[in-house]
Amino acid sequence: MNLRLSTAPHVHNPVTTQRLMLYVLIALLPTAAFGVYAFGVPALIILLVSMASAVLAEFLWQKIARQPVRVGDLSALLTGLILGLNLPANAPWWLAVIGSVFAVIIVKQLFGGLGDNFLNPAMAARAVLLASWPVHMTTYVAPTFFKAAVDAVATATPLVMKDASLMSLFMGNIPGTIGEVSKIAILVGFLFLLVTKTISWHIPVSMVGGVFVFSWLFGADPVMAILSGGVLFGAVFMATDYVTSPMTPWGRIIYGLGIGLIISLIRQFGAYPEGVTYGILLMNIATPLIDRFLPRKIYGHQKEAKKA
Amino acid sequence: MFKKTFRRGIHPLHNQHEGKGPTRHLPIEDYVSDSVVIPMNTNIGAPSVPCVKKGDLVKMGQVIATAGGFVGVPVHASVSGEVTAVEPIPYLGSVPAMAITIKNDFNDTWCDLSPLGSVEQVDPAKVIPAIQAAGITGMGGASFPTHVKLTFREGASCDTIVVNGAECETHLTADHRLMLENSTRIVDGLRAVMRALKVGKGIIAIEDNKPDAIAAMQKAAQGRDGVSVQPLKTKYPQGGEKQLIEAVTGRQVPSGKLPIDVHVVVLNVGTCAAIADAIIDGKPLISRVTTVTGHVVNPKNLRLRIGTIAGDAIGYCGGFSQEPGKIFFGGAMTGICIPNTQVPMAKSTNGIVVFNEKEGKSKDESPCIRCGRCVAACPIGLNPYQIKVAADKSDFAAAEKLHVNDCMLCGSCAYACPSRRWLTPSFKFAKDKLAAEAKAKAQGGANK
Amino acid sequence: MSEKKSLGKTFFNGIIPENPTFRLVLGTCPTLAVTTSAINGLGMGAAATFVLICSNLVISLLRKFIPDQVRIPAFIVVICTFVTMVQLLMQAFIPSLYEALGIFIPLIVVNCIILARAEAFASKNGPISSVFDGLGMGLGFTLGLVVLGSVRELIGNGSIFGINILGASYQPMLLIVLASGGFLTYGLLLGLFNLVVKKLQNKKSGKEAQAA
Repeated sequence: MNLRLSTAPHVHNPVTTQRLMLYVLIALLPTAAFGVYAFGVPALIILLVSMASAVLAEFLWQKIARQPVRVGDLSALLTGLILGLNLPANAPWWLAVIGSVFAVIIVKQLFGGLGDNFLNPAMAARAVLLASWPVHMTTYVAPTFFKAAVDAVATATPLVMKDASLMSLFMGNIPGTIGEVSKIAILVGFLFLLVTKTISWHIPVSMVGGVFVFSWLFGADPVMAILSGGVLFGAVFMATDYVTSPMTPWGRIIYGLGIGLIISLIRQFGAYPEGVTYGILLMNIATPLIDRFLPRKIYGHQKEAKKA
Repeated sequence: MFKKTFRRGIHPLHNQHEGKGPTRHLPIEDYVSDSVVIPMNTNIGAPSVPCVKKGDLVKMGQVIATAGGFVGVPVHASVSGEVTAVEPIPYLGSVPAMAITIKNDFNDTWCDLSPLGSVEQVDPAKVIPAIQAAGITGMGGASFPTHVKLTFREGASCDTIVVNGAECETHLTADHRLMLENSTRIVDGLRAVMRALKVGKGIIAIEDNKPDAIAAMQKAAQGRDGVSVQPLKTKYPQGGEKQLIEAVTGRQVPSGKLPIDVHVVVLNVGTCAAIADAIIDGKPLISRVTTVTGHVVNPKNLRLRIGTIAGDAIGYCGGFSQEPGKIFFGGAMTGICIPNTQVPMAKSTNGIVVFNEKEGKSKDESPCIRCGRCVAACPIGLNPYQIKVAADKSDFAAAEKLHVNDCMLCGSCAYACPSRRWLTPSFKFAKDKLAAEAKAKAQGGANK
Repeated sequence: MSEKKSLGKTFFNGIIPENPTFRLVLGTCPTLAVTTSAINGLGMGAAATFVLICSNLVISLLRKFIPDQVRIPAFIVVICTFVTMVQLLMQAFIPSLYEALGIFIPLIVVNCIILARAEAFASKNGPISSVFDGLGMGLGFTLGLVVLGSVRELIGNGSIFGINILGASYQPMLLIVLASGGFLTYGLLLGLFNLVVKKLQNKKSGKEAQAA
């Protein structure tokens, strides 16, 4: 009989990192499925290419750097999928490859791998692609729903058109990136994430609320503001990235409101039509500060805090 | 019925249902083994000093070791028979403990007992000396001598006594069964202490996953002066002293202070029952209820004589049902591993849990993904991931600044961590280091 | 380290072991700003090298006459003289490059590398080794700028020194020639350079250890 000795606790929550990543992947399924349904085979190719290249990049990097290969934790797969959903369906395939490789190697692995990246890899990669190939990144096609794929016409996003009906905005019958168009699919994923306790409500709600309030204050149509562009997708799947968002409930609310404020500022007063990417990236950078300086109520220290 | 609780915390093993299921409905059984090995250093404070030698015949309840100081307790023979050894044994931790081995003659002849009578009539001044003489230590886990807890320093006052029936640990049902079967004794013990300390309010706090225990205690408390039952939401670590005080009274014990500083004393239900036994029957603490569960053939709630060898108790439960991978005293959240089955249980051993090979395997750490589950779990409100980063860098000063000394090692953060990071062990290491540093500093100061 | 290093070592010192761009991380402001193309990097490097050699020489010659308290203003005056010369010369003979580098030519005056070499080397060493130091440092700086400029031009424009390399179908990565791309490329090259140098040094010290 060989008894192990260890310190307590001897039991663990069955939830592992891998399972959390899997939950997010599952939550992204409706969005991805709708994207493929709306934009057809090109969207499917983009998603597959970005996922495959992200996983391959992580695998090769860890082999070359002689690190333990942790591709099995699914985080690279998730990064690839989120990046793919952030691309227009008619983007060239090499855009997805460059984006994934950049996200995994430069943003994530070079800063120390999973958990040590200070920016959301998919978001940073999207920002790089946007700055490098603005034409490819902002030429959106209207959803074809497999009807007339040949006639797919390049159009502007509703943020520029400003005339899409709220219903088509909500259902996803609008041009945009693969993942951001269908709000209803995103909400289904959000519910799944909440039910499985993968994420807390704080960031999505405060971020969308922030966009609503601030764009209203700045004189835009608040309902239109939260339904157009990548606000909902960003709020549910990208701002909530564990690594680059604060840990405490209040910290998360500040973070979400901050993103909402930056998005509204960029949209109303900036040169770009969309600000979700930069909003999230800027608040990513602020995350360590929020975690560090937001005071916490510690048991048995309350009175001291009042005196001080 | 309003249920109180504390902030944050976790729900291990689906609100305990997995761990406690096998034993929660089983009545307490008596088990007496062939021999007992009674360790001398099981209480916090000074170890007891043996006062018998090899070959002596002892009666049940006879003092076999005297207290090693005020913060110490006498030890009593838990069986009658012959002392076969007084020698150090390997015990929990690295230092061997002096222990007295008694071979049981199965006559259970009591030594002369001096009962003090009913708890409502006993002279209040005699209660605490009786507790001291009976060798009672806290039976919830920490085994702090109870008479010391009840002896206040100058100027301190107490207005509430909280009886801890939360039993928030996994797997354990010993307190639960005790509350069902010995409810009157628990209330008796509480009343004795209330009278001794002249405290008007006694609250028995029980988690709501034990509705039968709540009902039994409410029945027993009926018509008793100042005694009430407070149901609590099921959450770990509800039974932690500080959490229990927060849940029941809404008060917070200031950092580095004791419950008495917020005018509260917390006693375990087992301790209360032992106090009642000491006063009504004059019997010292020689047995306790222990849950033997996990991968044993018949999990049971046993009343074990202090000093019963773990292997004997497991054998009485039919032995192992699977190859054991890990055995620990206490629940799965804070239990202490034993190196072999020859280790005797002590006054604070509320459970003996057997894990199989698979459950006992320690999990590999993977990188922290900063998910914040540890922050949401910590009942103190610390940032465990930050402390872990500091502790991993051996930056104990930074860990201290992050209030690692307020950590009570409840294990909630490590339970919640999806990356299986060894949070609690790191914090224990950091706390030990800081304590050693502080001690060295104090000694250095004294030498100057 | 011995007081008198060989001239070769002094020269080589600036190219790899104390490369101003990749090892000392000095003069990063012009480094990031002008390296949008290889030719810009070369021009900037050449201008700085010229100033570096001349100022090192003059300061080394004057080192016994400059009072310690006012040495920095004195160095600056010397450096200013040569920078003005370079500026006027460039304006006269290569106006296109002068236009491209713009403000960064006059800013050579406050370039850390030049002041640092004046302070750390020229004011303590003789004129000949100071010239070699200036030459080595200047070439090291130029090398850094040309490498950085080439990489950025190649990725951001598909060409090196204006010669198209990657073909017409290449879709340039605009970000790399923008400011943020400059930081990104600089950081990555910095890491790579130090990784290689470290590997080489480890190999060398390993060999020495074996020999011993």
